[in-house]
Amino acid sequence: MAATRLPGLLLALCASSVAASDWPVYGGDAGGRHYSALDQINRDNVAQLEVAWVFRSGDSASFGDEAMAQTSTQSTPILLPEAAGASLVYCTPFNRVIALDPGSGEQRWDFDPQINRGGDRPFRCRGVSYAEDPAVTAGAHCRHRLFLATHDRQLWALDAGDGKPCAGFGDKGRVALYGSSGQPPGEVSNASAPVVANGVVVTGSTVIDFTRATTPRGVVQAFASHSGAPLWQFDPLAGHPDSGSANVWAPMSVDAAHGLVYLPTSAPSPDYYGVARPGDNLYANSVVALDLASGARRWHFQHVRHDLWDYDTPAQPILFDWQRDGVRVPALAQLTKQGFVFVLNRLTGESLWEITGQPVPPSQIPGEVTALTQPKPIAPPPLVDGFLMPNDAWGLTPVDRAHCRRQLEALHNLGLFTPISETLTLMYPGSLGGANWGGGALLADRGVLLVNVNNVAFTGRLLPAAENAAERELPAAGKRFRVTMAGTPWAVEMESLQSFLGLPCNPPPWGKLLAVDLYGGRILWETALGSVHEMGPVKAPFHIEWGTPNLGGGVATAGGLFFIGATMDRQFRAFDTDSGATLWRHTLPVDATATPMTYSYRGRQYLVINAGGHHMFNRGSGDYLYAFGLPQ
Amino acid sequence: MTIKRAALTLLLLVTSYSHAASFVVTDPTGEPVGPAMITASPLTVPESDLSDNGYAPHGVTNRAAVTLTRFTDSAGRASFATSLENHSIRVRAQGFVDATVTVAAEDAETAVTLQPMSREQLIASFPSNVWLSQLNFGGDAELKKTFQLNCAFCHQQASPFMRNERTVAQWLSVFERMNGYGARLPNEDHQRIAELLQTELRELRENPQQVPEPREWEPYLADYRMTEWPIGDGFSQMHDFLLHPNGMVYVGDNLFDRIYEVNPATGDYTVYKVPHREGDSVGGILGNRFTVFPKMDNTMGVHSFAYSRRDGNIFITPSMQQALLEFNPETKAFTIHEMDAGFYPHTIRTDDQDRVWFTLALSSQVARFDRDSGEFTLYDLPARNIREWLVLKSLPLIFWMDPERRPQPAPDREGTGLPMPYGIDVAPDGRVWVARLYANDLAVIDPATDEVTMIDFPFAGPRRLRADAEGNLWIVAFQDSLLVKYDPATAIFTDYPLPVINEIPYALNVDRERGVVWVNGNQSDTVMSFDIASEAWRVFPMPRQRFFTRDIEVAEDSGAVYTSNSHFPTWQTEGGVPTLLRITPLAE
Repeated sequence: MAATRLPGLLLALCASSVAASDWPVYGGDAGGRHYSALDQINRDNVAQLEVAWVFRSGDSASFGDEAMAQTSTQSTPILLPEAAGASLVYCTPFNRVIALDPGSGEQRWDFDPQINRGGDRPFRCRGVSYAEDPAVTAGAHCRHRLFLATHDRQLWALDAGDGKPCAGFGDKGRVALYGSSGQPPGEVSNASAPVVANGVVVTGSTVIDFTRATTPRGVVQAFASHSGAPLWQFDPLAGHPDSGSANVWAPMSVDAAHGLVYLPTSAPSPDYYGVARPGDNLYANSVVALDLASGARRWHFQHVRHDLWDYDTPAQPILFDWQRDGVRVPALAQLTKQGFVFVLNRLTGESLWEITGQPVPPSQIPGEVTALTQPKPIAPPPLVDGFLMPNDAWGLTPVDRAHCRRQLEALHNLGLFTPISETLTLMYPGSLGGANWGGGALLADRGVLLVNVNNVAFTGRLLPAAENAAERELPAAGKRFRVTMAGTPWAVEMESLQSFLGLPCNPPPWGKLLAVDLYGGRILWETALGSVHEMGPVKAPFHIEWGTPNLGGGVATAGGLFFIGATMDRQFRAFDTDSGATLWRHTLPVDATATPMTYSYRGRQYLVINAGGHHMFNRGSGDYLYAFGLPQ
Repeated sequence: MTIKRAALTLLLLVTSYSHAASFVVTDPTGEPVGPAMITASPLTVPESDLSDNGYAPHGVTNRAAVTLTRFTDSAGRASFATSLENHSIRVRAQGFVDATVTVAAEDAETAVTLQPMSREQLIASFPSNVWLSQLNFGGDAELKKTFQLNCAFCHQQASPFMRNERTVAQWLSVFERMNGYGARLPNEDHQRIAELLQTELRELRENPQQVPEPREWEPYLADYRMTEWPIGDGFSQMHDFLLHPNGMVYVGDNLFDRIYEVNPATGDYTVYKVPHREGDSVGGILGNRFTVFPKMDNTMGVHSFAYSRRDGNIFITPSMQQALLEFNPETKAFTIHEMDAGFYPHTIRTDDQDRVWFTLALSSQVARFDRDSGEFTLYDLPARNIREWLVLKSLPLIFWMDPERRPQPAPDREGTGLPMPYGIDVAPDGRVWVARLYANDLAVIDPATDEVTMIDFPFAGPRRLRADAEGNLWIVAFQDSLLVKYDPATAIFTDYPLPVINEIPYALNVDRERGVVWVNGNQSDTVMSFDIASEAWRVFPMPRQRFFTRDIEVAEDSGAVYTSNSHFPTWQTEGGVPTLLRITPLAE
């Protein structure tokens, strides 16, 4: 739990005492834009960026390698306002909440909820939320409070100054999220930060959604942020008794001015077989706008009908003003796993780009009735080309390319939305995305979205459940993944499409970064994101920028920079937002599969990223929080 | 209340309920909407045996979920002679949002009020052809024709799915994929077409006011009814078909080696699975270009149909084989007549001497099958140049090679090596006429002398042709968007612009009895009729968007016209299933 002080720190402490600013919520603002107006660090000086301090949470020492291997470090800190103590606060995968001095990285306090670590779910915590409670006297305990939703389904309210539970909230500072919905801990958990606005705190959940036909309901719950009293619940799959989930595991967004909370809902259960859940399965795979005060549904936009591909809504809805012909429209951009960007009027849910019903092929599984069409925006273009033909097979040598080609020739493959069948079927993009929970960063007033996507093909098929026992491994680590969908006749088997060399069969880049003009509906540039030099059996001594699978997002700044970790190469990079050129990078001890943030504290701009690895990437773990700044 | 509205109200009051189901369609102000298209689809699909890979097993009869369509008259009224109580009724009119209603009770008159589309909805509703008309390919008309020739015989080219913004790399990926499936878009044009499609489609998207409105539906539509038989599934392609004197319609599923015997009187259809030689594989001698498709069963490749006037037997071209198929509609027996030469049996016709004529599209030949002797006679059509001659002569060697390893000549704009005899018909005088698609010429064979005469066709893309009762040839010029008449007596070509913009006509037929040419409108969701005497056009909108009309047959007795909904892939069509459609003129 020690911070490593660096030489510039003393100078920083002596610098002008400008107030802390920026990043009070998980996504930078309540609309998840991941944008900062700070420009102290800019294109001209980013090459000078250096480590300002490093903080280690102590989780690695406390829990050991075996437990850490089951974690994904995904937390983005928030910076509390001066009135709330100006601490930098984040959570560890085991839901410890830690407050640091933003300038030095020294720990101010921590809170350990002592979570129940039972069950199979990996541990992760994407962040905490902050709110000032006007019902509490200024200066009193919990006037400034933090909210944490834990792995074991507890919603905690903590004082922002000392990290102690707020006694007047729920039962001594906590509310059991499963208490009112019958969801047992273990199968359901929480990872994303709750959202809080207008006196209401809203939580979603994470559900294992492919192991049973009828998984727990993905009920979204709202509580009074002052007392923890339950206010409302919303079941996205109400009326569908033979299915479950459609939970909200990705971060939500709030438009407090219009009193709306936006839910990115996930797939219905089971992910890959929909015979028992005929129809479109509303409101799964949707963005749903609820009235924040009452929970009443205002509108919805479903981006996948009758999902058979596990295309959850994976990312925080990004709220911004869309412009055309000088007219500004309150808008929402929704990134998806299938690689589309939907731009909606956030007050009505109407798409601001024409939606074309993309015709899709029918299923070959008895009884499975696929949707005839799937929504596709006429613009911007797909971020990932969902076609991969045998002629496109890639290999390092003619031999492994031929191996890939043979595999591709044997697949069912009609591009995006090819229904899975008993024959191996191409799943491209796979359930990893496309986009994922890192979301995107929006350049203020330009409508330019910077987004990192995965570009790796998977294959899948259904197997008679009775003859095929589950073999659960991690598909992204190059292993086969077989799960029995209990309550259905089928097991599902998936693996990444790769050659005997372990390299993907689709051409690189396997991860990429794109700049998308949301006003013009076009891609401005794209570039590989990540180097594969550490992914082979032997590490190469130089970077090979073919892109890697990536998880976590980035932050854009007024300095013309986009900062992102996310890759499988331990790099933290800065890109030029205009050109996509890499301007700076730093090697971290482990992969930083988390979204960075930036803030200014006492005159110095910091970039902070959590580096602890991701259990799915299986490339080592850690408990690092890195801060970078210009030399002082 | 306007006089018109008052008249409408009066009409409503005094009309007796003489029909099983009648409708009146108005706009929100109460003005009648006519023509409005009223399509009735059964709410319950008849139970079917689809146990053979999703299709009816050989010899099994199922019943299609028949849909009926009528158009309202100027008073906004239309009626159906049958009960529609258990049907979903979709009401569609240009400029209005579709309405879906059900009929509450038999004989009730149903009033439907249509809501106007927003400007965005209206533009998005326009068919492909009007969008395509605004792509000028940087002013390079030849490049546009190349694009249309090679890309528009399977898909509508400016449907919403084509208008989706794509990067240049994504367009290039599309072209590679399509050429892999068998398209012949010249490699040298890929980059430029990709850039132009991205630029020009984006320009249209940003300036949709440039897109002209489609042709307005006209009052005569109220004088016709349409009947549609959904058959097959989203993977099928109902390509060509035959209206047989026995009253049945025989439809070929080009991708699944199945023939659908449809009884228009009952809606029943029976599926007959075309046999193939043991050991033959999917794709036949051409090889399977569709290995990635979840299902495909075209070892023979059922293509075109003709029947014998002598005994009613049906002859079918199996494109993937060196053979001719014969089907006896009485015994349901198939016979495979083996050929030892010629590649890609294509369009087929029979003559009064009971000879069977068909084009051999890849080997640039015409075949004649004499039923009595069981022998084939092949007529070589000339190569356009030495290189083409060499390619044609080397075809037997090329086809001797493994389909997966044989060389694939890079396509060029002229289709070198592929003059492609395509459409064929037998004129009343017995001469056999053939159109060569890539060579832009016609061939005429005199069966009496076996003499072959070539005639330059002054337009681009002669695809299918038909002779009228006077012996004139009617030819569609595919990428030139024209109907062309050729008078053999004077050797004069006369071209007739189509009544819809930027249509790319694939096929046609002639109602010799009534002197009407019927032309398909695959890009505009239409079928068009051309009265030879008056030179007047009529345009018939199809009940489904992205209804890729292809073959056309005419019932000599009633003048009813049949066409097939033949998009490839079929799932791009509205509703996702292929259909056989009949347009029937109402009794005077």
